[in-house]
Amino acid sequence: MDWKPLQRGLQCVCFVLAAWTAGLIVVQSAPHARVELISLQTTLHPGSDLQLGIHFILEPGWHIYWINPGDSGQPPSFKWQLAPGFSAGEIQWPRPERMQSSAELTDYGYHDEALLMVPIHAPQFINNEQLRGLRFAVEAKWLVCREVCIPEHANLELLLHSGAIKENSATAKLFADAEKLLPIAMPQGWKAEAESRKEHFLLTIAANRQLTKAVFFPLEPGQIDNPAPQTLQATTHGAKITLKKSDLLLKPITVLRGVLVIPGGPAYWIEAPVRQPIQ
Amino acid sequence: MKSPRHLILLACALLALIASAFAAKVGEPAPGFTAVDSNGKQQRLSDYKGKYVVLEWHNQGCPYTKKHYASGNMQRLQKEWTAKGVVWLTVISSAPGTQGFVTPSQENDYLKTVNAVPTAVLMDPGGSLGHLYAAKTTPHMFIIDPNGTLIYNGAIDDHPTSDQSDIANSKNYVSAALQEAANGKPVTEPATRPYGCSVKYKD
Repeated sequence: MDWKPLQRGLQCVCFVLAAWTAGLIVVQSAPHARVELISLQTTLHPGSDLQLGIHFILEPGWHIYWINPGDSGQPPSFKWQLAPGFSAGEIQWPRPERMQSSAELTDYGYHDEALLMVPIHAPQFINNEQLRGLRFAVEAKWLVCREVCIPEHANLELLLHSGAIKENSATAKLFADAEKLLPIAMPQGWKAEAESRKEHFLLTIAANRQLTKAVFFPLEPGQIDNPAPQTLQATTHGAKITLKKSDLLLKPITVLRGVLVIPGGPAYWIEAPVRQPIQ
Repeated sequence: MKSPRHLILLACALLALIASAFAAKVGEPAPGFTAVDSNGKQQRLSDYKGKYVVLEWHNQGCPYTKKHYASGNMQRLQKEWTAKGVVWLTVISSAPGTQGFVTPSQENDYLKTVNAVPTAVLMDPGGSLGHLYAAKTTPHMFIIDPNGTLIYNGAIDDHPTSDQSDIANSKNYVSAALQEAANGKPVTEPATRPYGCSVKYKD
């Protein structure tokens, strides 16, 4: 599919709109992805943080990567150009998908669509000139892959004017949907612990209910053998998950960090202290 | 009595087990192999006992491989280390019809065009050598010491990007490991996460 006419059309529309409304969205098309910088808020208010996001719409079959891309690939990176006093927070990574391409290779990333949200901290004081209109710019770099991989980049911009903070009805649903995909802290009373065995980690999740399905995504590369099947044994209160160690793991680790995705349910941040085997 | 189908499945399972048992682990004997190079010559790992051997997984169409060839970085490493007696084996595991698959003569032309100087290029379109070492990316680098022990498994350097401009600020893990080993020291970083395109296996 050729996105170029759409890109030009949207850019023109956006530039015209920007002359008299709040937002300027520059949409860039690159091969296999359409990428835009969007904002949850329509306006800028001193001291109020903003939620911006880089929205990837991918051609069918193509994917981008999670913070830990797995066995191949590279996560997107963003370089912000912000007005003085503004600062960008960390990328809020939605829960990833497992993508296995061969016996040796499993990657972690996103198909179809992904909104990578980034909180922007606004200063308490914004001068009059800035209040008339403030430009947010980001240089986005990403790798898009199907069977082959293509490194891409785009310079994206957004213009916000001052006013009472209001949600942008056009993007609110995208942000709300992305919010639902963010991993959350484990519920109160749940506990994650890991035991280091010769070839495996045994990850024990103590929960208030039985967990019959769960997939673990390691945050650090080189700890878990990504393509190895994870075996889950449901317990009365939680589950025990066996994770094969990576060949690259030569030293003991003290903590196993990652995301536990409950299919059809939430995704939890896991930080499991690792017990070493008793010699 | 088991049907032939069961036996085939059993044989497959056994082969998979054998393959996993021989996976390349740092500190353990590197799996032995015989492969045909781009000049039609048989290359055996055992032929190089007593020498350091570098294995470099390669795909000339991959942006991460291109980073290190268009910049001349890989050729520089090949030149430097083969001059010091290291055996450098480039391996191509791209299956026919996938990115990076080349015929032996295409590969020899490519070597001339980019001035690459590996000791040999091993043609592995069936992927058996790739599977034996569990090669994941292009590039993915392995170093085997003169005793046949694997002493490095991982990335070429510490900047997992496809930008050539990053090379100048990168720590090259392969050079560091070869240098330390040559000085009789243990390799400080013997295992790192390889980065690049996935190896284009046939299955």
